[in-house]
Amino acid sequence: MTKGHEMTQSTRILTVDDSASMRALLLNALQQEGFDVEQAVDGQDALDWLASNEVDVIITDINMPRLDGFGLIERLRESARHADRPILVLSTESSDEKKRRARDAGATGWIVKPFNADKLAAAVRRIAH
Amino acid sequence: MSALDTSPPGRSAIKRITVMQGEALASKDPQVELSTVLGSCVATCLFDPIAKVGGMNHFLLAEPPAHLSHLEFDEHYGLFLMELLINEMLKLGAAKSRLKARLYGGANMNSGLAQIGSANAAFARRFLQQEGIVQAFEDLEGQSARRVHFQPATGRVRCSTTAQAAIPKQKPVAPPQSDVGQVELF
Repeated sequence: MTKGHEMTQSTRILTVDDSASMRALLLNALQQEGFDVEQAVDGQDALDWLASNEVDVIITDINMPRLDGFGLIERLRESARHADRPILVLSTESSDEKKRRARDAGATGWIVKPFNADKLAAAVRRIAH
Repeated sequence: MSALDTSPPGRSAIKRITVMQGEALASKDPQVELSTVLGSCVATCLFDPIAKVGGMNHFLLAEPPAHLSHLEFDEHYGLFLMELLINEMLKLGAAKSRLKARLYGGANMNSGLAQIGSANAAFARRFLQQEGIVQAFEDLEGQSARRVHFQPATGRVRCSTTAQAAIPKQKPVAPPQSDVGQVELF
């Protein structure tokens, strides 16, 4: 099956990153792939927004003020509503220790920045429920 | 890799670290001095005056492929090095909201259609504006190569023009290919 608009059009992604430049880059890349994109500026902003909204996939940075990516994942996994929600970490970090910590917290996967839009979109399609 | 040169012996030894293109380094060590030589590349010097942590990156945006406009430089890599620098500083106790930036380089060394230096400079200015980071100073564009020395623990910078021959041959350096965009599902 080729990359279909019908497949991805209804997939809603929440990106969480404190960098406005990175949010703009992600928004552009993911919208071009046909995804619906919502954005939060840090982990706490994401939690607040998710309290009354639904998404299919969350893509989060790690280093953020107020609540970082690890904290966000841990908080989401405490909630039955988000226990199985696919969560990808997108970070400049690539150490095994950080990846292990994310996996233990309940992350679904890890992508190293700078991201490749095709690979990111493929990963989202693969894990989206 | 960075070149570490501890000199001179005696007195309080200054640890000079050369920041090469494609690198981002941060320190709070009062004896460290970060140095670089710039042509069309740009170096961002960030400083947190409260935490007394500073850092420098050195980047060159990739020229666009032939089928794209000469203005469409690939900013992914510049963004990566900016984020890498900020993250390194946060690890040392800096706060993004306190950072002040000084920008150097971005010279247009050769008259050509693609004004590479100006593209690098424009990206750096735009990044700081989008991120709400105060731009305290800039010495950008023009046609001269620059040599920059930055003391990360004090925020002091010395910048001088230098001969074009002092600039290492530079092409955009990508991060380790094994890691770029790598997707690992757990």
